[in-house]
Amino acid sequence: MAYSEKVIEHYTNPRNVGSFAKGEDNVGTGIVGAPECGDVMKLQLKINPANGVIEDAKFKTFGCGSAIASSSYVTELVKGKHVDEAMAIKNTAIVQELNLPPVKIHCSVLAEDAIKAAITDWRKHQEPAVESADAVPARTAQEG
Amino acid sequence: MQAQEPRTLCTTCGAPLGAAIDCFATLGWPRRLAIDRAALERTYHELGRRMHPDRFVAAAPALRDASLRGTARLTQAYRTLGDPVSRGLYWLELHGRKLADNNKEVSPALAEMVFAVQEQLDDLRTVRSVARGGEAETPAGAAETAAIEAEMRTEVEERREELRGAIDAAGRELEANFADWDKAAAESPDGPHEAGGASAPGADARFAELKAILSKIAYLRTLIRDIDRALETAQAA
Ligand code: FES
Repeated sequence: MAYSEKVIEHYTNPRNVGSFAKGEDNVGTGIVGAPECGDVMKLQLKINPANGVIEDAKFKTFGCGSAIASSSYVTELVKGKHVDEAMAIKNTAIVQELNLPPVKIHCSVLAEDAIKAAITDWRKHQEPAVESADAVPARTAQEG
Repeated sequence: MQAQEPRTLCTTCGAPLGAAIDCFATLGWPRRLAIDRAALERTYHELGRRMHPDRFVAAAPALRDASLRGTARLTQAYRTLGDPVSRGLYWLELHGRKLADNNKEVSPALAEMVFAVQEQLDDLRTVRSVARGGEAETPAGAAETAAIEAEMRTEVEERREELRGAIDAAGRELEANFADWDKAAAESPDGPHEAGGASAPGADARFAELKAILSKIAYLRTLIRDIDRALETAQAA
């Protein structure tokens, strides 16, 4: 299948690949997988606990080109966003940006779910202070 | 007397009916998940013989058609139910469930395994490109790189064995899950259930477990595929 130019661009030159150092503070890690194809994605977000703004993002994806491109793209997309804003990112935005064909939709869903999982993980570690500040319970899973 | 079930062959004259029925019905079997391989072979060959298109070359077009459709369905049922993983996936499909629905979580142990193996493969690729890139200036240096590469390959091969073992273990979990379904069907409050344990108590838990096992197998298979590829390119390079 032909990949769109943008997918190829992200794929050959992925942004923000890697992980944050183990004990680093204020990092939320989301690991999600697509059981249809067996691909796995890890997304890490570094979030400012004072204002809930995502300051940095890194990813590691072992999967198809679209999954790599999707995760590369979202690391750029979420930087500078508030966690609530990031939480609202829909996979359709990724599909549009990268021009993904229908069979690759699940790859973008994976990226959306990775953001949610990472933020949820970060929230879990933000003891009561931030937890109570936001009344909306974090969603861990998403109807796929 | 039970209502007439959809069948593969006409019960009166034995003609193929070519009806669009599920894989279990195609074999004339109740929906039980523990399947004996030998019994499957027997049924497959027996039904296959009885509706073989060769026997209907001179028959009416509708009958010929039914024999073709019936044979195609039979082959499909045989393949689908013959392999435990595809049988499990089919069970989900049969009940309108999808493997991917609400199922994005990867257990921490499995995730750790995935990342560890993938890092190993990255390392292998790096060493290989060094070895092939001719960056080593001395023969001794080149020999050393080759030795490191060989050692890494061995490690990766060992990993692959470990993963294969994990798949085997998951296969046994799958069998246990199948047995749970059949047990539920047999003990169903409204008598032994032809349609399997899907409506018996505890079905949701059994579905969840089935999905978890099948997902684990999918991740392990993908990992093994990646290992195979990495080792192959290592060989070919
Ligand atoms: S094919 Fe599965 S994530 Fe792309």
